Amino acid sequence: MELEQFYGINYKGSKRFTQWDVPTANATGFGAAADDYMERGIDLNEQLVRNKPATFFMRVSGDAMTGAGIFSGDVVIVDRSVKAVSGKVVIASLNGELLIRRLEKTFNKIRLVPETPRLSPIDVDVSGAEFSIWGVVTYVIHSL
Amino acid sequence: MKAIVDCNSFYCSCERLFRPDLRDKPVVVLSNNDGCIISRSDEAQRLGIAMAVPYFQARHIIEKHNITVFSSNYHLYGDLSWRVMQTLRTLMGDNDKVEVYSVDESFLDLDESSPDRLQQLAKEIKTTVETWTGISVSIGIAPTKTLAKMANRMAKKDKQSSGCITVLATEPAIDAALRQTRVDSLWGVGKAYAAKLLNWGITSAWELSNMSEEWAHSNMGGVVGVRLIRELKGQPAIEMEEELVQKKMIATTRMFGRPVTAVGDLKEAVATYISRAAEKLRRQQSAAGVVSVFIVPGEQDYMTGFRHGPNISSHVSLPKPTSLTHELIKPAVELVEQLYENGRTYKKAGVMLSGLVPDDSIQGNLFVPQVENQHRFLMNTIDNINFAMRDDSVKFGSAGLTKDWKMRQELRSGRHSTRWEELAAVK
Repeated sequence: MELEQFYGINYKGSKRFTQWDVPTANATGFGAAADDYMERGIDLNEQLVRNKPATFFMRVSGDAMTGAGIFSGDVVIVDRSVKAVSGKVVIASLNGELLIRRLEKTFNKIRLVPETPRLSPIDVDVSGAEFSIWGVVTYVIHSL
Repeated sequence: MKAIVDCNSFYCSCERLFRPDLRDKPVVVLSNNDGCIISRSDEAQRLGIAMAVPYFQARHIIEKHNITVFSSNYHLYGDLSWRVMQTLRTLMGDNDKVEVYSVDESFLDLDESSPDRLQQLAKEIKTTVETWTGISVSIGIAPTKTLAKMANRMAKKDKQSSGCITVLATEPAIDAALRQTRVDSLWGVGKAYAAKLLNWGITSAWELSNMSEEWAHSNMGGVVGVRLIRELKGQPAIEMEEELVQKKMIATTRMFGRPVTAVGDLKEAVATYISRAAEKLRRQQSAAGVVSVFIVPGEQDYMTGFRHGPNISSHVSLPKPTSLTHELIKPAVELVEQLYENGRTYKKAGVMLSGLVPDDSIQGNLFVPQVENQHRFLMNTIDNINFAMRDDSVKFGSAGLTKDWKMRQELRSGRHSTRWEELAAVK
């Protein structure tokens, strides 16, 4: 595998490319003008994965977040290196389960809020429950 | 200063990452083919599960205490190992300062860090690795690699009080640590070596560190002994190694899922291992000049995985080094025919490619017949397809289609971090 490959810190994506991968129009006639505007194209890894060693993909199973546009069967991109501040959609580990919810944090209280009327928010008893933030959801991939 | 970063019960930690319900529960991971226990969580260790014991021997403890058992899931462990090492590289900002020592350990070169910041630095490294990858680590820091290993061992021994970090930066600290370490637990001291030292009346690392270099040279295997003594005295003698880019030989060995008696099955297995080894060979752009095959007869008790019959092996030198799978399969299969004895059962087979040289066929050679270049292109195409589609989508006919002999992995978890179809579910 190419996993051993190291990319500089500034490189955000995961794809390796060289200048030769940039396509040319290869036109025989008035091609040079088009060549001047050729680009490498869009790489989703580069756009959606900000920190590769800390980024995981997970599959949503349930309707807890439909109000936020996250549906059952969707894939979410989870970045463990992003700080879980109040208002973020997070993957939380609560009493042995992985849950996707919106995090609401006030100075003395943590709540996991679903975005569907069918479920109620969970007040996390930080001292009693087995609770931790697994990661922060950065993108959702939804198949149409 | 050198540091060693070592993942805590690595395989178990990987399994727990996607199973928060197992956080404080006993967990064990089995070797290939579900033979022995190769990783155990602290909780399992406390219940009396020893390292490397056969699964069936520990079964009564496992059932009694409801210990969760996993078959090894190397896709998951390999990916998380890469993530841990990559995080360390990012933190160090320089690839040369990270030496990946094994799947779950890495040496760091901290020569440029100021000694009074080391504790803080170790804490930062530990927290970052754990936050990013979910894998907890222990860190030992000391002037040399051998002492860093020793420090790490101390950190792991009492995780509560050490916080999984031990820094031995001052002479009194090193001295005290040497005094409470036995020679047989030092890095690089094996059983035979330790027995020799005990014969000399040397039991603690401290006693060993006080021996002279001359003594070590004449009594402890020359340079190796001198290096060990120097390292213990705090003088770096084992430097950071660069990444092993090209291996000198490539081997693939597996246990069979069930004992194999037919020569056909044995040939299929060997052809499959050759395919895998040849793929690795091409990836490092080498060609092999020697093909070795060995097969291991398993007498009755194949379940234990311990009663190895004698290895039966043979090798053949090729007229010309090659990296082409079919050119390697042919002699290997012929070797199997030579080695095979009718009526015996076999439980393991392996192949080894050695005599490696740079593969000059890679770029397509102007001076060889066109057909050889075409073969090379064929190999590239197969490798590309298999890399993209995985699970050997394209393979040689001699590697078989059914693979009855394949490994047993009954309790394997999903490949959550590398396969789209096997992602972990969140509710």
